[in-house]
Amino acid sequence: MDLVQRYIAAVQRELPQTKRDEIGRELNANIMDQLDMLSEQRGELAEADIAAVLKQMGHPRTVAQQFVPPQPLISPGYMSLYKSTLFMVLGILFLLQVVDSTSAWLSSQMSFLLYMKSLASGFMQDVLLGFTSITLAFWLMSRFEPGQSSQCEQSWQPEQLPKAGPHWQHISLQDIFTDLATYVFLLIVIWFPLWLSPEQLANSRFLFTDSAHQILKWASPLALLGIANSLWQLKQRFWSRSMLLSNIVLNAAFVAVILLLVASDPLLKLETEAWQGVLQLEQLERAAVTGLVITAMFPLWEVVRDILRLRKLA
Amino acid sequence: MTTAQLDKMRLELRRGVLVLAVLASLKQAHYGYSLRKQLQEGGIDIDEGTLYPLIRRLAEQGLLDSEWRQGEGRERRYYQLSQLGAELLTQLTDEWQQLNAALGSLLGSATEENS
Repeated sequence: MDLVQRYIAAVQRELPQTKRDEIGRELNANIMDQLDMLSEQRGELAEADIAAVLKQMGHPRTVAQQFVPPQPLISPGYMSLYKSTLFMVLGILFLLQVVDSTSAWLSSQMSFLLYMKSLASGFMQDVLLGFTSITLAFWLMSRFEPGQSSQCEQSWQPEQLPKAGPHWQHISLQDIFTDLATYVFLLIVIWFPLWLSPEQLANSRFLFTDSAHQILKWASPLALLGIANSLWQLKQRFWSRSMLLSNIVLNAAFVAVILLLVASDPLLKLETEAWQGVLQLEQLERAAVTGLVITAMFPLWEVVRDILRLRKLA
Repeated sequence: MTTAQLDKMRLELRRGVLVLAVLASLKQAHYGYSLRKQLQEGGIDIDEGTLYPLIRRLAEQGLLDSEWRQGEGRERRYYQLSQLGAELLTQLTDEWQQLNAALGSLLGSATEENS
């Protein structure tokens, strides 16, 4: 009978503390009944017979899970809300990290690679904190109110559903937050002298000439419009004709500004001594122009894409 | 269809019916093993891993009353249908009979079409 006691103890270890004694007691009674029936048929039981009965009952963990099925960390009723909250909060944390890292980069001698590393590591820390806090909050909600559906799910109306459209009409949160991060980055880069001390300003590594910086300043309302546009997308989450039109106008304006920057000569304000022996100034200027032309391809691609989409919606 | 798929669907099909079979069998008091024997004799084979946790769940839901009794030199937990369980069993039996009649005609017409 030592095998039976070991088996029951192994099952009990997999059970919550509050249910161990009762389930163990019941399991013992059930096993004993089975062994009694077997011994009536075969006479005295050998250890191998007992082992065969226990083996047939299943692994202790499986038996424990049959008595107390494992509960998911987040109850299925909350899963959709959990995922939306997670994406939304991580998106906002990404924006805040862009602000933080970009400000640090512009006010120091940090290289671009270090800036990317600071952005990535800072965001990873935020992700860990955000993910843990949100998961813990939803775990607590799942424990105390497992079947609760959100207010939104209870009061929905079929008439409020968006029109059935092609797959691309749904705007993903990832796209919205990427755009928002780009606009915020742009605004910080353009207006960074406003919040820097004279000392920090002296140390700063702003590379554009005054005339190129002036063009960027004139373009900053575009970044603000972009933020408004992204917030509108965040609210609607569905491409409409008016939304596509505003996106086309916005991206076309960005293409124009970037091409204007390309045309401004000289584009970069460089310290000749710092770059001596590394790269020639003409090469750097040419690389910056090429980089800007490539950058212009992205909004240009969106313009073409949105025009095609607009024609499909017509 | 693979054997695994068939087994899975059979399991799903039996899951709800087993509750009804267990409730119906517990009009008289039974302990776990005796209930299993009674179900087997009635043509319903159910393994311990499914039956014992199922009885406990039904008892936790208030559908079964239970008590520990001494017998044959050992204690056993006996289960019997509670008042709530008896009411539920009546409703479930009606539901089952309606479903069975509807399915019978559906399956009957499907068999005729196939033959």
